Amino acid sequence: MEFIKQIIIASFTGILIENTVFSRALGTSTLISVSKNRKNILGFGLCAVYITTVTSIICFFIDRLINYYKLSYIYMPLIYVLILGFVYIVTLLLLWKFFYNLFFRMKKYVHMSAFNCAVFGALFLNHKYCSSLAEYIGHGIGISLGFILAVYMVSIVYDKLYSENVPYSFRGYPLILIYIGILSMAFYGLVGRQLLY
Amino acid sequence: MRTAAAAKSEVNPSAKLKRNIILDNLFRKNPILSGGMVIAPIVVYAVTLKNAITLAAAFSVITFFTLIISSFVPKKIVYTIRIILYTLIGSLVYVPAYIILNYYIPEVVSEMGIYFPLLITNSFIVSRSETIFFLESKSKMLLDIIFCILGYDIIVLIFGTIREIISTGELSGNILPVPLIFSGLGLPFGGFIILGILAALLRYIVLITKKM
Repeated sequence: MEFIKQIIIASFTGILIENTVFSRALGTSTLISVSKNRKNILGFGLCAVYITTVTSIICFFIDRLINYYKLSYIYMPLIYVLILGFVYIVTLLLLWKFFYNLFFRMKKYVHMSAFNCAVFGALFLNHKYCSSLAEYIGHGIGISLGFILAVYMVSIVYDKLYSENVPYSFRGYPLILIYIGILSMAFYGLVGRQLLY
Repeated sequence: MRTAAAAKSEVNPSAKLKRNIILDNLFRKNPILSGGMVIAPIVVYAVTLKNAITLAAAFSVITFFTLIISSFVPKKIVYTIRIILYTLIGSLVYVPAYIILNYYIPEVVSEMGIYFPLLITNSFIVSRSETIFFLESKSKMLLDIIFCILGYDIIVLIFGTIREIISTGELSGNILPVPLIFSGLGLPFGGFIILGILAALLRYIVLITKKM
């Protein structure tokens, strides 16, 4: 029961307090490209949650091993890339073997969700702030769900941000940034302090 | 007598191509203000000019060497593996980059936190490499990479300077006669808002220069 409770608390921390986009700006470029099409959100979201959770579990055990080494933080990106690459390949192989029809539809989502700053950043944040397996899992799930929340919040106003009524200089990308900034301000108000990085 | 238009049409195509690459990367299609690439470290970390210089240095070293080494990865290798190899090369380039920067500016590097290692999965390495850089000839690719990185660095430095002045009323420790200080703009939401306004400003300037 304590395990589940820890997962839920860590998940909510990841979604609301440490929201990847609004509090840490991680994966903003990916967010802009995914939010273009609302149909992408579900596929991308499922892949992001799966990949972040699985890599977080593996990283929990690897972190226990490398923490003993003095210079482990220098080689940490290398180790995390290897883990992420391993999960990426295994996921594609499993999809190809067992869900062949789904493979071609999900391939692009697997790629997008595996190699972006939000997922990669989640692994570093886990290492920095989490200590138990439940926290690693919960934080991983929370960070990816927080990212999906951010993508959804941008996608619902996407057409308005690209509207002809908006002056050309601000239309689209500049306004997306200002909109994310305003949402980020609201999240900052909710947390009440700047997060450490 | 040759007209100005005729003379213009005789401009060396290679020189024109170089001019376009330079203008696009530095100005018209700037990677930050038009392409929205590698925004996270700017928004969170580039709050002062000093931080902006560190970010520009770290980004330039990691991106340049990773892209150059990655360009030798054979195209025969499937995309799934290639993309892992690019980030793997990035993480190997990160090791000496970290050691060198940490030797000269240890306190600034530690302040960068997770945003330093995250540079190895930046959009230049993960996506732009496959869609643009590696499709070009080696010489054009080299020029494109250099000016793309320069375009990024220039905006980071301008952004860091403006942000430090607006949010603290100082620049590198020197107090400036700024009538109003918006300290909130030093926070991540301020970074998004300033970046959005700069992107709109650049688009306006490009529009004006096109009309001229």
